[in-house]
Amino acid sequence: MSIELIIFLAMVVVFAGGCFLLKLPVSISMVLSSVVGALVGGQGIPLRHLVEGTFSYVDTILVIATAMIFMKVIQESGALDALSALIIEKFHKIPALLLCLIMLVIMFPGMITGSSTAAVLTAGSIMSPVLILMGVPMLETACIIAMGGILGMIAPPVNIPAMIIGGGIDIPYVGFEIPLAILTFPLAFLFVLMFGYKYAKKISYEEIAPKLNTEPREKFGFKVYIPIFAAIILMVVNKAVPQIPDLGMPLVFLISAVIGLFTGYKIDILKTCKEAINSVLPVLGILMGVGMFIQIMTLTGVRGLIVTSCISLPNLLLYVAMAISIPLFGAVSSYGAASVLGVPFLMAFLAKDQIITAAAISLIASLGDMMPPTALAGIFAAQVVGLKKYTDVLKRCIVPALILIAWAILIIVFSPQLAAILP
Amino acid sequence: MITLIYRGIIAIVMSFTVWNLYTEKKIALQANAAIVLIPLLLRLLMIK
Repeated sequence: MSIELIIFLAMVVVFAGGCFLLKLPVSISMVLSSVVGALVGGQGIPLRHLVEGTFSYVDTILVIATAMIFMKVIQESGALDALSALIIEKFHKIPALLLCLIMLVIMFPGMITGSSTAAVLTAGSIMSPVLILMGVPMLETACIIAMGGILGMIAPPVNIPAMIIGGGIDIPYVGFEIPLAILTFPLAFLFVLMFGYKYAKKISYEEIAPKLNTEPREKFGFKVYIPIFAAIILMVVNKAVPQIPDLGMPLVFLISAVIGLFTGYKIDILKTCKEAINSVLPVLGILMGVGMFIQIMTLTGVRGLIVTSCISLPNLLLYVAMAISIPLFGAVSSYGAASVLGVPFLMAFLAKDQIITAAAISLIASLGDMMPPTALAGIFAAQVVGLKKYTDVLKRCIVPALILIAWAILIIVFSPQLAAILP
Repeated sequence: MITLIYRGIIAIVMSFTVWNLYTEKKIALQANAAIVLIPLLLRLLMIK
């Protein structure tokens, strides 16, 4: 057994022990496993490397934190309530379309933050009562929210696993929008119909209408939606008019959040920001832990072992190994899976279109958010609808997860042909 | 200019993280917040 494998096993054992036995937060377990990995690898406690690791995700945590502030502001201002009431009012006669639009609303925070947790905790918590009102059982509602969260995290414009994978071989995050849309939206619509259509087709608007919160729309009218439009416009304006400098996602979210203070209900901004940061701190901590974990894996040669093992696999086995190992590594973190396994698998598929392949691998990596013990999407979705056992959600999502993997592999296989027809 | 705005955003996120650290009851979650603070503080001071 090579020393790298011993180090890796030691890190995994300490991480699992921290999570399951000591019930420590995932971030702390990761820090401990990183320290143990460095000790076993004969590096002592390399403080510089541990701190260096946290910097891998410093921009990402700024995006997540500011996006969550924006989400909380539009939630408190009444914009999300107004949006869901509007969608149901306009589309209740076409339940399939209504479900698809609800799925888009659930995905939206994930699309702009790149975090499934943000989607599940914000739009997921708003749309879950609506889905239950429509007659969708709690378990299926949790599954819709969980899958919406992970697909939202991968859908454009912001996909952090794709950024991480692309960054590994110096591909800028440009040109990912259409491949990501092809990968995610058909699956999102399929899953929401799979879970909800048989219940939603019997929807009675008269029963739901009194329970919808239409007050923000009636009180503030169109202006309640302005922060959402502002965020979208500020995100795309630089692409339409390149002379305008790119503001960066954190600034876009903060500007839109400030606008949101004046377009709806009055908001206690300090309390709202504190709550926003509090709800994302576990995710931010995990990212810091993942950064340290991967830095120590790189320092001790464990990452090299994984990379060479992946690249040296026979072609057919590559797909099988990718389909199994990336979601499994997601038990540590989906971002970690993207970084540690996504990059070598992308290099192994050099004959394919690299942007489409990176996008497809990021889709598989997203399943990490359904993998215990972290299982962020599954755990939070169960919490949001009030289910006691999140494992039921995970079991119910096995078939969609397999469909998702098959879809990603299909896209990778036909990526050269797809690239030829895409603009 | 953009660097100053960037540092301002870091200061905002950092201040709410510190606030959460002080109001958090569980030590493990306080440690979690402290880990998040490390890169934010170093980047705010432009040390790293």
